[in-house]
Amino acid sequence: MSEAYPGLVLLLVLQVCAWVLLLWRCWGVLGYPLDCKDEQGSIISCTYISLEKLLDRVIQHAELIYHVSEESCTLFEEMFVPVSMRTQQNRARNTCITKAFPIPGSKSEIQKISDKWLLHSVLMLVQSWIEPLVYLQKTLDRYDDAADTILNKTKWVTNKLSSLEQGIVELIRKMLDEGLLAVEHQQTLTRFDAQPEVVESILRDYAVLTCFKKDAHKMEVFLKLLKCRHTDKMSCYIS
Amino acid sequence: MATRLVFLSLVCGAVSVSVGEHLTTSEVPPKRPYFVDCRSPEQETFSCWWSAGDYQNLTGPGALSVFFQKNRDVWRECPDYSTAGENHCYFNSTYTSIWIPYCVQLRSQIQDIVYHQMCFTVDEIVVPDPPVGLNWTLLNISQTGQHFDILIQWEPPPSADVKKGWISLVYEPQYRAINMSDWKPLEVERACYQSVYGLKTGMEYEIRVRCKQAASEKFSEFSEHLYVYIPKVPTKETLFPFTMILIFGAVGVIIVLMLIIFSQQQRLMVYFLPPVPVPKIMGIDPELLKKGKLDELNSILSGHHTFKPELYNDDLWVEFIELDIDDQDGRSHHSDTHKLLGSENLNGNCLNIKDDDSGRASCYEPELPDSDMLDRSQAEAREEKASLLDSEGRAAHSSTTDPSPPGRSHPGATAEGASRSHPQIQSQLSSQSWVNLDFYAQVSNITPAGGVLLSPGQQSKIEKTAEAHSSPKTQKCQLAMTTDSAYTSEMDAKNISATPSLNGNEPKVTVSPYTVSEAPASSVPPVSDYTTVQAVDSQQSLLLNPSTLPTKGTPMPAGYLTPEQLNSIMP
Repeated sequence: MSEAYPGLVLLLVLQVCAWVLLLWRCWGVLGYPLDCKDEQGSIISCTYISLEKLLDRVIQHAELIYHVSEESCTLFEEMFVPVSMRTQQNRARNTCITKAFPIPGSKSEIQKISDKWLLHSVLMLVQSWIEPLVYLQKTLDRYDDAADTILNKTKWVTNKLSSLEQGIVELIRKMLDEGLLAVEHQQTLTRFDAQPEVVESILRDYAVLTCFKKDAHKMEVFLKLLKCRHTDKMSCYIS
Repeated sequence: MATRLVFLSLVCGAVSVSVGEHLTTSEVPPKRPYFVDCRSPEQETFSCWWSAGDYQNLTGPGALSVFFQKNRDVWRECPDYSTAGENHCYFNSTYTSIWIPYCVQLRSQIQDIVYHQMCFTVDEIVVPDPPVGLNWTLLNISQTGQHFDILIQWEPPPSADVKKGWISLVYEPQYRAINMSDWKPLEVERACYQSVYGLKTGMEYEIRVRCKQAASEKFSEFSEHLYVYIPKVPTKETLFPFTMILIFGAVGVIIVLMLIIFSQQQRLMVYFLPPVPVPKIMGIDPELLKKGKLDELNSILSGHHTFKPELYNDDLWVEFIELDIDDQDGRSHHSDTHKLLGSENLNGNCLNIKDDDSGRASCYEPELPDSDMLDRSQAEAREEKASLLDSEGRAAHSSTTDPSPPGRSHPGATAEGASRSHPQIQSQLSSQSWVNLDFYAQVSNITPAGGVLLSPGQQSKIEKTAEAHSSPKTQKCQLAMTTDSAYTSEMDAKNISATPSLNGNEPKVTVSPYTVSEAPASSVPPVSDYTTVQAVDSQQSLLLNPSTLPTKGTPMPAGYLTPEQLNSIMP
């Protein structure tokens, strides 16, 4: 036993050294800050994606969201909104959720907006709509089975919105070299507590859908402008 | 509150209905000026236009004014009344903002009456311009040449800023045949190209495209029409019957060839596949193996070492012995003579004809049937008999007229006479078949020199029978013969001609019993049992050598020659 003791110690030391060497080689790999989160939130290994491809995918998301929101808005209008209230006038009167900062509407103004501003505004829009859509799903459950398609669409849009958020965050990181640590959902929407009346709830839901459609359109336009600037900077700044 | 609202709306509805009823009953109110529509072609500018309605005094320019409110701000008047045309209010890009609510109002000149108000957002009123630059390219034509596919392409409207992504358009092409009335729409897609499949050649088609914003429902106007036409490919149509003609022609030729082959099968078989010569012995015709011709066969075969004539002779000898017994009259004798003559002829034939390997070289010419053969032998017999008949007369004739070998001349000289006087002989001769003929004058062997060795057995037998019943038989025979004039005369002729024939080296084999019996009576030297045929002349008559005597005196069996005897005889 006593004679084997130094041998055991030597063996142990050797093992430790080997492990250290092994870990040393892999240290660099482990140390890379590429942590992607899937739907469940667990960290999975990410594959590298180029900026162009990321931008394309983000734009695809935005286009799809806009398309689906427009469909659900039309469906809702056909199903629930009375004919007398379907005029453009009434649609325009619906006041949408006011944002923290105004977004310019004219093309010339928007073209003057910087990339940073564009990305941040898109991110803000995306983040602001996740909760209202969740709430909308709850309200749509109160309707009869006719609203199932709208409900499914809303659910789908909510999912896509969260993945769009991830993409925007990554885009910001790549394009602006900024790292966003936390995603904070700002509560800008006032909540209705109590059970509203049917007509009111219908109109409110209709207003939510139309406003979301508008904001989805905004996201799409901003992202496309961003892409134009990325591919051909000179022509995109000229109005 | 909700109930209040509902109650109020109901009341209002009732009031309006009553008012409306009241109005309709009295008069139709004039239609007020109103906004027809507002439109933005590219989401950067927009314009609104209105109609004066029934108020005709407000149709002129400046009669009505437009005010707009942007984002619920102050009301401002329309910045441009002229650019878009009459009754149009044009808002350029500085005034246009998307996602912001706009309201426009149609007011009177005095600006106190609001005829109509409209609120909207610019992104909702986007109706783009039609696409431009429509063209098509041919993708392919089907193998039959009946259909073709094309790819149509177009450009987005120049006013729409699709490139920067400010506006997203989707397109819908439509096509139809010229004479059709219904347009067929294709898929609504974002791309600026699309394929059209299944168009027919020889028909002219019309194509048009329209576009709209992705999320809106309002389509633009249609683009300019595009005309597509591909003529039918005629070459394939003309080739089709030509190939059919070729196919049918080939089939016809094949059928004709088959018919020819089947009809001329035998000839073709002979031509292409000549008959293999059957194995045969040189110089012998298979025809000889048929019944009645064994004498010729024997004559031929006796030339070979291995010939055993007794094989043939045995069977036939037995047969003909029976036949001989049956025949009582002198036909047998007659047949002997005839047979002799016939054998001479045959021998002559056999010796003269050169043998080749075709298998058809025989003692007889192939075209000569039995009847011909008989006729020839009959002719010879006739000649002989004629000579015999006219021997008496001929004796004088021959000495005087023909010093040449009488054997030859006689048949030729007296042929005509004989033919005339002995028609019955001919008939009798012809009636006789070879089977009935006796083989008494059996040729046992042919010497290489051409001499024919006869087997004396038959002769001896006949001799015995003749000697036994010589006188009575001869008399009987003569008597029998006398009954038949032809025979009698013939026999007489024979008897008579026997001597001179022998003397003058006549081509006659002395096997006739009568000849033999007459021999002692006449001055003819004793006839040997057999005579060697020395040669056969050109007229196929045998030249006998009477001096030849058998070397051996051993009595030979009737009609038989043992091989040893044969070999001894043979030089």
